[in-house]
Amino acid sequence: MKETNKAINVIRVLFIAVSMILVLFHFLNHSEKLGKPLMDYFTAGFLKETGAQNAVAAIYLDYRVFDTLFEALMLLVSVMEVINVSWAQKDVRQYSMDKELFNRKDNSEIVIRMVGAIYPFVLLIGLYTIFNGHISPGGGFQGGVILATALISRYLVWPNSDLDLVKLENFEKLLFLAIVAAPVFYIFMKIEPFYSLISRQTYMIFMNVLIGLKVFSGLSIIFYRFVFYEGR
Amino acid sequence: MDFIFGEIAGILIFFIGLCGLMINKSILKTIMSLTVMESGIILFYITINYSPDSVPPIGQAQEAAFADPVPAALMITAIVIGIGITAIGLTMFMHYKQKHGITHWTRDRDQQGRGL
Repeated sequence: MKETNKAINVIRVLFIAVSMILVLFHFLNHSEKLGKPLMDYFTAGFLKETGAQNAVAAIYLDYRVFDTLFEALMLLVSVMEVINVSWAQKDVRQYSMDKELFNRKDNSEIVIRMVGAIYPFVLLIGLYTIFNGHISPGGGFQGGVILATALISRYLVWPNSDLDLVKLENFEKLLFLAIVAAPVFYIFMKIEPFYSLISRQTYMIFMNVLIGLKVFSGLSIIFYRFVFYEGR
Repeated sequence: MDFIFGEIAGILIFFIGLCGLMINKSILKTIMSLTVMESGIILFYITINYSPDSVPPIGQAQEAAFADPVPAALMITAIVIGIGITAIGLTMFMHYKQKHGITHWTRDRDQQGRGL
């Protein structure tokens, strides 16, 4: 039994090595140079056409907005899967403690003080990254992840399951509806109150805030489910 | 070391992940191999069409050529989707482990449920 396993493994490694060499050979010798028509098109007049100074934000919020829509759907589906396929259908209150019991556990005082000191700054830099996503490096995805870091540091200080995850999931579903509705009305149907740079930048900030909140709630749901439910 | 650049490194990392996917019997190591493959793909994409003397594509200042914003915009979504895939895989792994005691891709009952 062991011997055949070893032989099969050697064949697998050989197969991988041969295919790797084949792909590298084709990539280095026969790769077709297509030029960069897409890049030229996207970087030609993105400020005039979309109102965003950041070309990446212009692409994922205006030119290629379907990417963002289906990425938001994918994150929503994975959050629903994490909640519904879990083996632990326990009550949330099983993990929440009242304050006196909680204070008797000896958590590190240094960690609590320091995390409490940097907590507002984490929130501040997350919001800054979201609101300035269209004029500087940043955007909804990155800012949402930074905001989720704030909740993770909250877990370090207060490891108690008193968040209502079901409410957060419903909030995320509403946000997904808004994320679908805003480009449908603004990009596809071209309904805009007045045709100017300001309305375009308002749309950019609005979409970045929606995406940031959605990524924030999705990642914090995944984190809290894994911490409190998926253990033993 | 002029001939080792990001795209070749991305292809190598992708095949290392594929190798781990084919050899390992453990489901947890399979999920880790998927993550390795995904990071190889991300490295391949963000170093595509790279030139050393380009500026970030922000604003309208044209003293140098813009870097390519298309792969960056594609990879932003790919990273979030990767997080979703990892979360789905780990949740399904915990479900099978707790409900059926399955931890390996094999019918051999001796290997199941013993270690990760």
